[in-house]
Amino acid sequence: MIAYLQNIAVLFCINAILALTLNFIMGYAGIFSLAHAIFFGVGAYATAYIAMHASDSLLLCMAASAAISAILSMALALPALRVRGEYFVAASLGLQVIGVTIFSEWKSITGGLGGMIGIPRPKLWGYTFNDDTAFLMLALVVLGIVVGITALLVRGSFGRSLMAIRDSESAAQTYGKHVNAVKTLSVAVAAGLAGVAGSLYAFYISFINVESFVLETSILLMAMVIIGGTGTLFGPIVGAALLMSLPAALTYLPFLPPTELGSIQQIIYGLAMVLLMMFRPGGLVGGRSKEKSA
Amino acid sequence: MTTSTSPQEILLEIKNVNKNFGGLQAIDDVTLDLPAGVITTLVGPNGAGKTTLFNLITGHLIPSSGTIHWLGKPLKGFQPWQVARLGIARTFQDLRLYSQMTVEENVMTVTERSSWLWQGGRQAAEQRVTEILTETQLLDKRHERAVDLAYAERKFLSLARIMASEAKLWLLDEPASGLDPRSFDRFVTLLRDYAKRGITICIIEHNLDIVIKLSDRVAFLDQGKLLAQGSSEDILKDPHLAAIYFGERA
Amino acid sequence: MLFTQLFINGLQTGALYALIAAGFSLIFGMTRIFHAAHGATFTIAGYIFYECYSVLHLSWPVAALAATFAASLFGVLLDRYVYAIIQRHEGSFFTVFVASFGMAIIVQNLIAMIFDRGAVTVSTPLSKSLEVMPGLYVAPIAAVVIVCAIIFFVALQWLLTKTNMGIALRALGENPTLIEVYGLTPRLLSQYVFLIGSILVVPAAILTAATSGLNPAMGNHVMLISIAATIVGGVGSLRGAAMAGLILGMAENLCLAFIDPQWSEAVTFVILFLFILFRPGGVYGRAVMS
Repeated sequence: MIAYLQNIAVLFCINAILALTLNFIMGYAGIFSLAHAIFFGVGAYATAYIAMHASDSLLLCMAASAAISAILSMALALPALRVRGEYFVAASLGLQVIGVTIFSEWKSITGGLGGMIGIPRPKLWGYTFNDDTAFLMLALVVLGIVVGITALLVRGSFGRSLMAIRDSESAAQTYGKHVNAVKTLSVAVAAGLAGVAGSLYAFYISFINVESFVLETSILLMAMVIIGGTGTLFGPIVGAALLMSLPAALTYLPFLPPTELGSIQQIIYGLAMVLLMMFRPGGLVGGRSKEKSA
Repeated sequence: MTTSTSPQEILLEIKNVNKNFGGLQAIDDVTLDLPAGVITTLVGPNGAGKTTLFNLITGHLIPSSGTIHWLGKPLKGFQPWQVARLGIARTFQDLRLYSQMTVEENVMTVTERSSWLWQGGRQAAEQRVTEILTETQLLDKRHERAVDLAYAERKFLSLARIMASEAKLWLLDEPASGLDPRSFDRFVTLLRDYAKRGITICIIEHNLDIVIKLSDRVAFLDQGKLLAQGSSEDILKDPHLAAIYFGERA
Repeated sequence: MLFTQLFINGLQTGALYALIAAGFSLIFGMTRIFHAAHGATFTIAGYIFYECYSVLHLSWPVAALAATFAASLFGVLLDRYVYAIIQRHEGSFFTVFVASFGMAIIVQNLIAMIFDRGAVTVSTPLSKSLEVMPGLYVAPIAAVVIVCAIIFFVALQWLLTKTNMGIALRALGENPTLIEVYGLTPRLLSQYVFLIGSILVVPAAILTAATSGLNPAMGNHVMLISIAATIVGGVGSLRGAAMAGLILGMAENLCLAFIDPQWSEAVTFVILFLFILFRPGGVYGRAVMS
């Protein structure tokens, strides 16, 4: 039982980091990305590759995962942000699709459809995190750091710049904000931290393949952010907790056919998304409808 | 803070500027100087091109021909955010406040130009913000969201933003429309105060009473052409211009 | 000969994509609603046709009508009861998109539960390929697809240029306030747009069911094509979206001469990226910079 709960807890930490970072760009910057699972995946594959071929150092692998994800995201952001928001959605969708294909085909780096097996646990200053409880501690610390970084950014000048751009991009431009630079930087931060989540994931599960990084995952993350509440600090964490407990909760309902649980889950959060947008667009934590601009 | 400039020093020079959209000549050979410390008002019927002129100055539109010089240098090919950092700021007719942010955040974020994740100078910025909020009498509303403010307060917040921008040229688009008399007097006092400190101010305004009370100089635009400029008395007393303004055309 | 085969396949796919893209572009261009449930409309139409024709063994006109009815009902009701409410409160791009997306997820999974996760095909006498020339296999249905597409586009063109409602619809895209002057409401016209846009996918859905088959997740692919074609063709240009749909369909097939099939979907997006990079306005659109 303890092992089961610990397992859920680690996965919760990882999902919470992903939801927090996605909220950073969706809720605060108003940028819509359907490709978040890809940055998660890039981080995971980067760590897996380095850990198995070079070094299992925690810091090195995480830093590499963060850097590679961040740089890749800038390649997406720089062209796509020059044009309107709807185009970024399309471009991110494209990246998601192409990313999955690349993950599946680039055998030498990602192991192709078979994925990568036997990723070791990370080592930090001589200590290896073989113990699951220790790993949970690690995951919690990393989550704490991500929450800290996000809070600092959001409450500081960068967060204000993001929100200004979200509320009125034309006014923000007029008052000296270099909108593209700010947006690109926010995407890089979000992607980099998603890469860190990927790194944690690879180390923990020790086996990764493309199935974890498909469009459904990006959609699930989006649902977490929206249902929990965009533009709030704790909304995504609530969303992550809720959506992760959904599968377990559903198994308690005896009348549901077990083969259909996956679909029912998706229907539930699809329904939640529709109803929330109609009546409570701020999400569960965010609150009632945001009003039109001043 | 603002450095003092000698009075009547010409800061913005618009020379023979034209702007056409396809077949439409929106701005037709306009030459206009905006000196420091002077409040110039742009008047004219709707569609005369006043907002277009503002857009040409701020870089939202590019002139078809002619030049615009700011502090002696040409404003060619600059993006709006770059123009802003050169010291030119504007307000919008529809205000475009950062609606979900608080009053304090609205003003604070204008002082934070850098795109980086962290920037210094926090204390100085906070002090400046408090000063500005005091001047615009918004201090007790500092934690209210912009969208929750009353009409007059929103207008003053719009002004507060431009004050925080440390710009030397203010382009205000109908800034005082709809203000009650007391708020209006406060507004005029504030503007004159900043004009005395050497800020160049150019206002688009329709309400002639406001024009009379506010302006040092008036420029009359019609159909993209600058028909006349001079003191407010000269312009407003001209029967020919009045006829155009009130729609009786030959 | 391979090239000719791929060319004909491309023409067939392209015709279908053109119809799908036109439907989405019509809705997006005129109402500014990012109708992420457009793929769901397609899936519903396809499966209703399958159910009526292959399972209930009704005649194909009846099945087609049922599919049309289901698709239009879905589109119109969604607009009326979901989008309308959202737009009344706040209606930002984000909110509408998410609601639309949520709908798409619901539909995809409902269909998966009702019908089965796997692919189903509708077999018709026209679906069987004939060897027209040595090495060249064409099914008569390919001709049906292309003719159908042409008919629908001609009808659409007539509707938009020669009827009052069509002209009013085009006005909706340019200047919504102008419509109220004429005593019409943007709301009502929006319903018409959704009706027409949803009907446009029905032939594409039916023909896809008869050629490559249906599966519950196909809505995703439909959305990808719709979005890509709308952007490549130029937002606001129906002709552009249709042309882009055709181009994408051709590209998807012709590229098989050079690369593996897994990469064909990626080709669509490489084209999309290139347009976003170098010509965001698309083929027919105006240049759109933020």
